[in-house]
Amino acid sequence: MAESLEKLHNRILSDAKLKAAGIVEQAEDKSRQILGEAQAQAQRDADDILSRASLEAESIRRSILSSRIRANRLRILDEKNKIVQSILRTVEKSLSDIASSDQFDSTLKRFVAEAVEAVGTDNVLVKIGFRNADKKSLQSLGQSLPKGTKLIAQETAVDDLGGVVASDPEGKTIFNNSFRARLERLDNELLTTISSAIFGE
Amino acid sequence: MSGIEAVRKIVETEAQAKRIVEEAESKAQEILASASEQARNVRQASTAEAEQRKVQRLRETREKAEADARSSDAETDSLLENYKKLFENGKVVAAQKAVELILGG
Repeated sequence: MAESLEKLHNRILSDAKLKAAGIVEQAEDKSRQILGEAQAQAQRDADDILSRASLEAESIRRSILSSRIRANRLRILDEKNKIVQSILRTVEKSLSDIASSDQFDSTLKRFVAEAVEAVGTDNVLVKIGFRNADKKSLQSLGQSLPKGTKLIAQETAVDDLGGVVASDPEGKTIFNNSFRARLERLDNELLTTISSAIFGE
Repeated sequence: MSGIEAVRKIVETEAQAKRIVEEAESKAQEILASASEQARNVRQASTAEAEQRKVQRLRETREKAEADARSSDAETDSLLENYKKLFENGKVVAAQKAVELILGG
């Protein structure tokens, strides 16, 4: 009786210890699982933070650089434009003073001939006006014009800078061969010529 | 051993067994609580480190971009200086060529 009671006592304790060990082991397994999942989640969180940081960094870099580069491009364009405008002012001054140069007679004849030919009718009306031009020399040009051409020498420069305007008697066909009109017609070539001479472009 | 004494001993043994299991359950609770605490610490530490790296990365990016921008400014300044020289050297020729173009001779 005493022996079987001792066995029962031992078995009860043995079962309890076994159960206790199982409970602790299960808790330890769960603990490892919790830590493992936490580490994996922590890694995902960190990756996410750093990934967003990369995007934010790129955005900051672009914001700083693009605005500065754009501003510098504008400074370059502005400077080029100032240079071209300065040259154009010199060109306009030279053109408006052409009456006092030795190129005047040949230029005048060529401009008039071009304008008369462009209008392409008889009895063309030609208006001429240059700053500081001798009226007599303008009127003497009339002798070299086709018969029927009427020459009007203005006191003032045509379109401010000087030039020639030809039209048919009714004023339906007009060809403006003033310096201003030629500057506008040759705008692109002019910019190319100036850019090439200054910047080698 | 009398029957009563045997029953008493069994009852005591059962009580002892119960305590063993209860202690194990208590220990298990402690283990799980500790694991939760460690998990929280791991995540907090990881997040804090990542945030720190983010701040560092953004600061470095900003500094590098500012340096690149200053470099762009310097290049532009140099280019504009060069334009002034090119203008001084070429303005007469450029104006002459432009006048010739307009005169169309």
